[in-house]
Amino acid sequence: MMKRRSIHLALALTMSAAVIGACSSNGGNNDSNGGNGGTASNGSAAETSNAGNDASKTLKPEKLVMVFPAAGEPKDMQEVSDAINKITKEKINATVKLVPIGWGAWTQQRTLMMSGKEQVDLILSGLGTYSQDVAKGQFLELDDYLGKEGAGIKEALDNLDPEFLNATKIDGKIYAVPSIRDLAADFGITMRKDLVDKYNIDTSSIKSLDDLDAIFKVIKENEPDVVPTVKYGNSIIDIYVRSAFDTLSDGLGVLPGNDNNLKLVDMYEAPEYKEMLNTVRRWYLAGYVAKDAATSTETQYNMVKAGKAFSFISHMKPGIETQESRNTAREMISIHFKPAISTTSDITSIMWSVARNSVDPSRATMLLNLMYTDKDLINLFDYGIEGKHYTKVSDNVIDFPQGVDATNSGYNLQLGWMFGNQSLSYIWNGDSPDLWNQLMDFNKNATKSKALGFIFNADAVKSEIAAVTNVTNQYKVALETGTVDPETQLPKFIDQLKAAGIDKIIAEKQKQLDAWAAANGK
Amino acid sequence: MQSSGRVYQWLLNIVMIGFTLFCLMPIWLLFSSSLTDDMELVRNGYAFFPKDISFSAYHYLWNTSSEIARAYGITVLTTVIGTAAGLSLTAMVAYPLSRIEMPFRNTLAFYVFFTMLFNGGLVPSYLLYTNYFDFKNTLLALIIPGLLMNGFFIILMRTFFATSIPTAIIESAYIDGAREWKIFYRIVLPLSTPVLATVGLFYVILYWNDWFNGLIYLTDSKYYSLQNLLNRILLDLQFLQSSTQAGSQTGDLAARIPLASMRMAMAVIGVVPLLVAYPFFQKYFAKGLTVGAVKG
Repeated sequence: MMKRRSIHLALALTMSAAVIGACSSNGGNNDSNGGNGGTASNGSAAETSNAGNDASKTLKPEKLVMVFPAAGEPKDMQEVSDAINKITKEKINATVKLVPIGWGAWTQQRTLMMSGKEQVDLILSGLGTYSQDVAKGQFLELDDYLGKEGAGIKEALDNLDPEFLNATKIDGKIYAVPSIRDLAADFGITMRKDLVDKYNIDTSSIKSLDDLDAIFKVIKENEPDVVPTVKYGNSIIDIYVRSAFDTLSDGLGVLPGNDNNLKLVDMYEAPEYKEMLNTVRRWYLAGYVAKDAATSTETQYNMVKAGKAFSFISHMKPGIETQESRNTAREMISIHFKPAISTTSDITSIMWSVARNSVDPSRATMLLNLMYTDKDLINLFDYGIEGKHYTKVSDNVIDFPQGVDATNSGYNLQLGWMFGNQSLSYIWNGDSPDLWNQLMDFNKNATKSKALGFIFNADAVKSEIAAVTNVTNQYKVALETGTVDPETQLPKFIDQLKAAGIDKIIAEKQKQLDAWAAANGK
Repeated sequence: MQSSGRVYQWLLNIVMIGFTLFCLMPIWLLFSSSLTDDMELVRNGYAFFPKDISFSAYHYLWNTSSEIARAYGITVLTTVIGTAAGLSLTAMVAYPLSRIEMPFRNTLAFYVFFTMLFNGGLVPSYLLYTNYFDFKNTLLALIIPGLLMNGFFIILMRTFFATSIPTAIIESAYIDGAREWKIFYRIVLPLSTPVLATVGLFYVILYWNDWFNGLIYLTDSKYYSLQNLLNRILLDLQFLQSSTQAGSQTGDLAARIPLASMRMAMAVIGVVPLLVAYPFFQKYFAKGLTVGAVKG
């Protein structure tokens, strides 16, 4: 028995040794295989490119993969992508596979796709993670490509303002190009038009948040079932604060008035912020804000749709009125009462990058170039196929064909602001026929934040940011919906932020901002 | 003595009833809100007894959404295939491990046990399944990664086989001329219904409720399972609430989020089959679980 045991042990040991040995030698083999695989595919790529040369085309055929977020995959995606491929095949001898990813799943799936060797050529970037992604080396530098294959992109953006393309630079290099859309934002309130008309509300008198009390009062007194104002995003003033501060992407260390001579302050200590909180608190106490505002998860659109809400305060752009009317299925009226400002976040929120894993970066840039210059291609991306997903009302204005509407259209992504140059797309019926001109003027004339072009790299203060985020999660929404009293809670909030290290974040940001200002001669 | 015993009994009952209510009430709320009219829900919030019962959410699911029917089909399909494959593989690994004559028994058992404590992590698993196996956007991605075999179930079954099947039966079958394979499926498996039912139910629940594989391995909506679909709606909602970065751009997404009663109705149709199936398993369930637990 004892003897058998020891034999077993010996066997087990030799086997595990063999296993370990096999593992490590396999590892070696895999590496060399990988190397071979690489050279082999290079060889075949060279062959195909030769074949391409023989066949009168100067470009070898290429398959590109384009990844972007969308609310869902439309039914007729295949058909539209076939039509897109016809154009790209003809113009740059490449086909493109479109991979839409749900918004909610975007962060996770994108991170995984970029972590391996999966082919991704063009990818939507920005959405708050631009500087981290560049730091991880996920995107290629575009400066050279933009000079050659991407001339159209550069021209389209520089026509607006060279500052816009500059704003994407990290350490002097471009890693992404913003889509041409609203590259600035003004601020105001969107209200239900039926109620505004019914009570003869004078909208021209609205100049600030404090002018809204009188309007909310009318609604509150006459429409007991309607909440005068609801959250937009996270809270009532979540987005409105940007009318007073350049939040420099995360709101931790901000520039009051978008200038302040590039001296950062803590937004939560700023008097402007306190004043906004007091206003919201006053609304809450007067019953202009729902009692469950801090915890409700119903979107502002569903609230308005259900007839439960009257208004929301948000950032805006030309044409916002029709957009919000579509989203709420009610006629809305938007009052813009704070002027347009362009900050780095406005530009870097939606951009396109060429991924590190791209099989052919120059062809990917060519495709991107088409998205900024080719009207037919842009309209395919934005609206689908003529006659099936839209028909022309006049030369540049389109609408749903007979029998088709938003609920049954096979392609209704409504992502015009994403796919390259929106100003080349058709105008949807109901919007001003002059919308794109208005939008481009809006972009050109917006006040540029003094820190436009500064991108914060948060790597050095990661743990402080995590701690501070926990504190803001605890207080911010309650304060910004008026649920708690700012007199007592705001000082607590500020103290806890300090304990969590917000000063260190601001100091780091200030250091980077000063360095950026010195390098850019601001 | 007698009366104090009865008081004690009553007290226990009250505590248990209270506890049961805590478990049942959320489900009831889910159910009743799925029967409430959308706009009613936004206006007056959730209620245990809706003022007007409305089947509009179910009508909508039934009529318009082929996406949901499809997702339901995918859920059923992966559950059936996954449970059948998982159960048979688990039994086939667990049975040899339960036999003392098996060479390297302990080493192999440790190998199984090891997977319960450690795994490769998300990114390496993703790379393995997408780069080397090419599972991305296939049905296999919903069946194999992380679900197909589970160390805990193997050990549960092995313990059952080792303790509840007398070696004498196996030996007598061997003397009667049965080979290992025949012993396994004619003698051992029929004697093991409690543990098979238990582990089978575990697999059903795992597969039925899984959304994670769908979240990371699928970009093509044609393979979305019901839970994946529900989870994506929740993620979209979270995204909307957390992200002010994308700005006005997400308005379109916000407008597309299904209304609360729709979400509740989807959850209900996701829950019902398990609720219905559970009592049938229950008979074996406690038995199989305790056998594994006591001796495990």
